[in-house]
Parts: sequence; structure tokens; C-alpha cells
Amino acid sequence: MLSNPVVLGQIVVNGLSLSSIYILVALGFTLLFGIMRVVNFAHGEFAMLGGFSLYYLYAVFKLPWLLAIALVPFLVALPALLLEWLVFRWFYQKMFQSMIGLLGLNMAMIYTGLIVWDAFERNIPAAFDGIVRFGGVIAPIDRLVTIGISLLALAGFYFLMVHTRWGLAMRAAAQDVDIAATQGIDTRRIYKLAFVVAIGLAALAGALYGQIYAVSPFMGERPLFVAFVVVILGGMGSVSGAALGGVLLGFTESLLGTLYGGSVAAYASFGVVVLLLIFRPWGLLGKPE
Amino acid sequence: MTSFKMKATLAALLLAGSMVPAVSAETLKIGAIGSLSGGGTAWGLAIKRGAELAVDEVNKAGGLKVGDKTYNIELVMYDDQYTGQGGKTAAERVVFQDKVKFVVGPIGSNPVLSTMEVTTPQKVLLMSNGYTPKILQNDHKASYNFRFTLTNIEFAPSMMKWVKDNLKLKKVGILVPNDAIGQSVAPPLVKLYKESGIETVVDYYERGSKEFSPLITRLMAAGIDGFDINFNAPGEAGLMVKQARQIGFDKTILQMGGPSVPEIIEVAGKQAEGFISYEMVDFDAPAVVPFVKAYAAKYGAGIMNSQTPAFYNTTKILFEAIRRAGTVEDTTKVRDAVEGIAGYDAGIYGPVRWTGMANYGVNHQLALPFYVVEVKNGKPVNRATLQVD
Amino acid sequence: MASIAGTDMTSNAEAPPVVGSARGSRGTLIALSAVALILAVVPYVIDERFGYHIAIMVCFAAIGASSLHLIIRTGHVSLCHSAFVGVGAYASANAVMKLNLPFVGGLLAGTLASASLALVIGPIILRLTGKYFVLITFLLGEILRMVFVDWIAVTGGANGMTGIPAPAPAFADPKAFYILALAAAIFCIAVCARILSSEIGRFVNAIRESEQLAECVGVPVIRTKIMMFVIACAFAGFAGSLLAHYGRYISPPNFGPIESLNLVIMNVIGGMNTLIGPLIGAFFLVLVPELLRGYVQLQHVIFGIMLIVVMAFMPGGMAGLGDILASLTRRFGKRAS
Repeated sequence: MLSNPVVLGQIVVNGLSLSSIYILVALGFTLLFGIMRVVNFAHGEFAMLGGFSLYYLYAVFKLPWLLAIALVPFLVALPALLLEWLVFRWFYQKMFQSMIGLLGLNMAMIYTGLIVWDAFERNIPAAFDGIVRFGGVIAPIDRLVTIGISLLALAGFYFLMVHTRWGLAMRAAAQDVDIAATQGIDTRRIYKLAFVVAIGLAALAGALYGQIYAVSPFMGERPLFVAFVVVILGGMGSVSGAALGGVLLGFTESLLGTLYGGSVAAYASFGVVVLLLIFRPWGLLGKPE
Repeated sequence: MTSFKMKATLAALLLAGSMVPAVSAETLKIGAIGSLSGGGTAWGLAIKRGAELAVDEVNKAGGLKVGDKTYNIELVMYDDQYTGQGGKTAAERVVFQDKVKFVVGPIGSNPVLSTMEVTTPQKVLLMSNGYTPKILQNDHKASYNFRFTLTNIEFAPSMMKWVKDNLKLKKVGILVPNDAIGQSVAPPLVKLYKESGIETVVDYYERGSKEFSPLITRLMAAGIDGFDINFNAPGEAGLMVKQARQIGFDKTILQMGGPSVPEIIEVAGKQAEGFISYEMVDFDAPAVVPFVKAYAAKYGAGIMNSQTPAFYNTTKILFEAIRRAGTVEDTTKVRDAVEGIAGYDAGIYGPVRWTGMANYGVNHQLALPFYVVEVKNGKPVNRATLQVD
Repeated sequence: MASIAGTDMTSNAEAPPVVGSARGSRGTLIALSAVALILAVVPYVIDERFGYHIAIMVCFAAIGASSLHLIIRTGHVSLCHSAFVGVGAYASANAVMKLNLPFVGGLLAGTLASASLALVIGPIILRLTGKYFVLITFLLGEILRMVFVDWIAVTGGANGMTGIPAPAPAFADPKAFYILALAAAIFCIAVCARILSSEIGRFVNAIRESEQLAECVGVPVIRTKIMMFVIACAFAGFAGSLLAHYGRYISPPNFGPIESLNLVIMNVIGGMNTLIGPLIGAFFLVLVPELLRGYVQLQHVIFGIMLIVVMAFMPGGMAGLGDILASLTRRFGKRAS
């Protein structure tokens, strides 16, 4: 089957669009862990809020799609600072406590969402309806747009982390928070910045995910699960690892699923990650400690 | 309705009732079990709302007249979290703590089986859904439980005949989740297709996954000319239709199960055009319109899960049986009344007919008429009305 | 591009904090006896069948949480403990239903099956510590869950196994089964307490304090860890067998990641330093949702908020409440004088 270019092309496009969403979610997750040592079990819920934001901005208020998608990260991340103040800041640098506390936040957010929005899945009308055919490969335009926007977000993130003072401050805080403080970095402000960036990324991912699939209070569970696995694959705290992990996982699922079916894909993905953890626990691109 | 609101309403009603000396208004508690968290939440809410609408109807009409007493109905609903363990705890509580004698729900083989182990020895009537044949074919001989929705053992033979006669299919692709429903549904479905001379290709996916294009691509590569969504959950079913069309599958898509037609139309939009499905309810029928209105008035304009009318039906049949038996204590009498209630029309589905002796050894399966619909211009259009054999 | 964080895998910021002194362990003993007394007496006072059911659930949770506590005390947090409960449950059900063994045979089969699996897997995964161990146990739990679902011939697949017989006809009544469950729980907790206060317990403390240092002074690190892991999983299997013969129906969702996470929550919320912690957690996680059941729509929201509040203000767990109160009274005492 692999020799057929149509099938091959299909696999590539599907794999890439899956990966791009996984990467966005994993990035935010790993940022929060790397800088604040917080395991954000509620990360999927910010993706959910991103999905609902796009739904309201685009489907209900009928803003142009590009404007809507650009607004989503801010619409979710800025009000989320309230949650940062109320909940997250008690758990910085406390891994176990953060796991359980944020799990509580996860539950509170899902079931509040359920009360507000009911259980049925909502569709965001297609912004880009057509498909593109090149050389026999069929690619829905909305998938290509997803990939494009994710790449933009990734580029922006890279620029922030590597080429700005804020990025430098965040990386310093990630290495050693106390020393960074003695160097004059305002850790409280850096935490808030990292929080906004991470949540913004999650919200964007959720919006794209909701656009392709559907929006509901439970939609965040799967992205969280995948983010977890991607971060393991790539290495906790490693950004390029998260990117690589996301691409690998998306492709593996797509490739194995197309060639061998669902069960094989599931066992294989887990198997690969388990083996990785046994033999190279710091992930593909993390550093051995 | 929150428990507090219900108690307040009840208090008000009781107060009002107590001012009229001739009528005695007691409370009859009806238990309900369903998933209010986790993956089955849409169904649990359907049980809750369907039952609540029936309860509201009865209470508004002055209560349920049983013998020479009139009862106000109070619904006590507990979350089973869509697991066997959750079902058992909810059942233990509702049977032994709240001391109910009648339970509506759950949905889902695991919670139903474990609930049954609690209700049947206590002779509590269980009016449930649930896929596995074990619900009716078991050591208890289903003595105190009934099933109120059709499984594919009931509707698939007639529908398959229609499919064979009307859609020329040679090879059908099937996707099912790798869980209780998927494992119960796939083998009999494959067998049925085979008996009609249609080949099948089956694949399983892990529940939670939303991306089906790799698996659909695989099915397409196997040369299918039909794609059966069967019993996938509404959200997943909609995505399957949408994604199949998006990757270029232009042949027949049908659903020998569900039903989830409104949800599929919502999720797949234009790509739902031409989609053929099994449907339990004719939403445009004059008898159904008031129900749809009542639902919208109480729960908003969102999409109604098709289990909601099913459980409205279930609860109304239960009330009628209690009324006919003339007792709220003797559940054996009520059970017999349920068995003998054939012909009663609760409003949405037409007259009750029991079936199941051939398949399960006991006639505790409700036989509902069902429909084959096709989506035309964004709306389901009736193509055939069929009966359970 | 550089990674965001380079953290020490064995840093103390990640490992659960250290245990107290001999005085602490006597306090623990008193507390444990109090808990046992409460568990023994209360259901009989309530004398409602549902009360027995809840009490039995507390006993199962207590066995699960306290056996997990053994693993946590070595510095490893396992997210697959419920899967081992499942292994025991399925092994026991198969032993009794397919091999026609008596209940005791099932109990033994369940315990041994879990312990054997732990013995095989332990040496491999216990080399990882900190977050890596958490992650690999999470994946292991998922793999086991998929095996429960896929190995239809043995486990009945996703539909599970029905009609599992009670230990003896007399035990079909929850009142009678409760005695069995309570005895099992007390036995398990007593064994755990004994282990933790013995020489091995001191090894465990040393390992958690600093693995490398412990190795240097001659503590058999990996062997101790494996032993704790195997004993903990043996108890998990033991609990699984009891669970199977109480509920008489088991299915894969009972042994999934959520249940494993619940056992971890019991430990973290109750306190990871002493054995009393997981017991408090077990009570909390079984009783509070029951109390909240009346709030049909809000129950999960309220529970979530409770978790946040407890973790934010009692980071050492609820077992630390005693210390918090003690320090508060000391402060007020100072002000008064």
C-alpha cells in the first residue's frame, strides 16, 4: 500500500495536521512544567475554552475567521490570569500538589462547562470548505490552514524564547528559579508571562481542534492525554523535543493506523514510548540528568 | 433540577395538597441511574430529562392515581460514571438508602449488568437500555427487568433486508470503538451482512480518538463501496461522516445503529447529504411535536439526544403499569402489569408490543417501530417505516 | 535550541518529604487503632445496608491506598496500581469460575498473579525515578487496561465477567462480607505498618532521603525497592480478588487510569509521610462524593474545588492537619501569655 502515492500523500497530510495540534498543546504543557514545575492536569480545559471561544466568535458573532482565531488566545489567556491568581500560584514548584490541585481544577472546569453548555457537540462551520488535489493526493484546505497556523504559532514561540529578553528570563527561571531571582528577574512576572503564553497556545490548539472536529465540554480530555504522551516522548521541559514528539506521534498514529488498523497503532504508540522511557528516559531531545 | 429545587417544589405541592382535606398526596420516589460524568454523560442526561418530562407531566396533572391514593412523583437520580462499579454503588444507594422500588436506566451494558445484580434480588423493577444480550438472557431470566430500546438483534434483520433491496452494496467498511459496545455490536453485524451476501471489513479504534481518516483510508484501500457508522457515539459518528467525505469517499454512508441523525447533521453539515440512517423517532410526527416543544422549553434549544424520548416513553409506561396494578408496594404485580401492557400508547412510539422470546427466552424487550431516513437538504426524510420481526 | 528546564531527577523538590521519629510512629499506631475502631463500629451503629456497602468500599480503598503507600515511601509514585488490582481480580475470577477452585484458591491466585507480574516488571521500571517513573507506570496501566479489553477469552473483554460467586453463600450478604473486608483491611494495614517500622522501613526512608547516599552506606537499594513493589502489588491483587467476589461483576473500566489516579490522590491528600495519610485519603475519597451526591449537577464541581483547596492549604496532606493545629495553638498560646 505504501507504494501508492495517493495513500502515501493522504498519510502525510493527516499525520501533519494531527501533529501540529498535538505540538501546540504539548508546548504549553511543557512550558508550565519547565518553568513553574507544575503538572497542569487542567490544560485540556483551556483548549476547551479556546474551542468555545472560536465557536462564539466565528459561528455566533460571525467575525471573520482569521480575526476570530487571532483573538482566541487572548480571549482565553487574559481572563485565565484570574485562575492563575486563584489556583495556580499555590502550586508553583510543588509537583505533586500541583498534580492533584489542578486535577481538581480540571473537574471543576469540565462540569461547570457541562452546566453552562450542555453535553452535545457543537460544530464550527467550515471556514474553508474545499479540498486541494495535487498529483492525486487529496488534502482538505482546513487541515492545511491548521498546519499553517500552527507553524506560525511555533515560529512566534521560538522567536519569543530565543530572541527576546523575556524569553531569556523564562529560560533562566527554568534552569534555576532562585538564582534567576538573584539576577534581578522578577519571577512573579515571568510566571505570569509563561502562564499566558502556555494557556494561549492551548487555547489556539483547542480552537483549531474544535474547528476540525467538534466542540463540547469534554473535548479537552483527548488533547491533554496526547500532550502527556508527547511530552514524555520528547522529554519533559524540552521544547524541540515536544515538537519532535508531536510529529512522531502524529505520524505513527497515522501511518500505523492506515497500514495496520487501530489496535496496532495504539499498542505500538504506547510500546514505543515505554521502550523510550526504559532506555532513554530523558526523551529524544531532553538532556540526561 | 437540583435536589433543593425539587424538595422546595415538593414542599410547596405537599403544602397545597394538605390544605385540601379530602385528597391525600403522598410522595412516590422513582429512582434513576445514568452517567452524569465521563464519556456517557450525554446519555445520562437523556435519561434524566426524558424521565423528568414524564414526571412533570404526571405531577402537573395532579399526581399519579394509584388505587384510592394520589402520589406526587419525586425523581431521585444518581451518577453511575458509566462503569460497572459506579452502577453498583448508585444502585445500592437508590435501593437501600432511598428505598425505591422502581428504577429507570441505566444506559450501557456495564452499569446495567451491575445494577441488575442489586435490583433483581430485591425485586426492584429495572427499566433499562443497554446493549448486551445478557441483560435479558441471564440466570435471573430477566425476572424484574425490561429493556426499552432496540438493539441490533431487534432492528438489524429488517433494516438489513431493506439495505439489501435498496442499496446495492458489495463490501461494507465498519468502524467500532474497542469497548463494551464495540465488542458486542461488531460480530453479530458482520454475521448479518454475510447472510445478506455482503462482505465486511472491520476495524477497532481506541475510544476518545477523533481522527478517523487513517482508518477510513485503510477501509477505502480495501475497496469498500459502503461505510457503516453503526453504533458509534453521536459525536464520533458525525466526525466519521465528515472525515470520510473530506478524504474523498463518495459512496454510500449509512448507519445501522445510533441513532444520532440530528447530531450528525450538526457536525457534518453539508457532508451529511445523502447519509442513510436508522432512526427511532419521527420528529415531525404530530404526536412528537409537543414533546419536542416541552424539551426546548425546559432545556433550551440544544440538540436532543434520541435517548430522551425513549426514556420519556419508559417512564410513562412504568407509571401506567403502576396505575393498572393498583399498588406501589407489590412490584411483582407491577411487573405483571408491565408484561400485560401491550396496546398502551404512551404518545410517541405508538402501542406497546413486547418481544424477545425467540432471542432471550423472555418477552421483556420492547418492540418499537423504527424508520430508515435519508438526509436531504439538511433534514432527515423518511424512506421506510419498519417493524421488529 | 536549549531545553527549558534541566532538573535533577533525584532532587528533593520532587520526592515526598521525610518521615518523623519514633514518637511519630507511636502516634501513628494510636491513630491507626482509632481508625480501625471507627471502621469496626460505625456501620453496625448505622445498620443500613448501604452503610455496609460504603464501609466495604472504604476497606478496599484503604488496602489499595496503603499498599500504594509502600511504593510511595521509596520515592516512586505509581499510576498503575489499579491495574494490578485488576490483574488480581481477573485471576481470582478465572481461578474460581474456570478452574473451580474455592474462594481461598482465588484469593491466592489473585495475590500471586499480581505479585508475579510485579516481580517481572519491577526490576525494569524501578530503575527510573521521579517523573519518569510516574509516566512509565501511567503507560503500563494503559497497556494492562487494553489487555483486559482485548483478551476476551480470559477477561470477557470490554463487557467483563458476570456471575462471579461470593466467597461462600453466607458472604453474599454485605453485613457478613463486611467482616471479611474489615479483617482484610486491618491485616493489610498492620503488615504495612510492621514493614515500615522494621529495618526494611529504615532502608526505605534512607532511599527516599537520598538514594545515592543510601547506596554508599550499603543499603540494598534496588532490592528493597523491588521488594516493596512486589509486596504492594501483592496486596493490590489481594484487594482485587475481594472486589471481584463482592461486586460479582468486573469490567475493565474499574481498573483504569482514573482509579489508579484516585489511589494516588488518597495518598497525596491524606499525606505521604505516614501510613495514616492514605487512610484519611481513603475515607475522604469514598465518603465525600457520597455526601455530595444530592447535588446532581454540581457534585463534581464542588469536589474539584475541594481538591484545590485541600492541596493549596494543606500541601503536606490532611494528616498534617494535626501539625497545623498544633502550631496554631502554640502561636495563640504565646500571644495569650
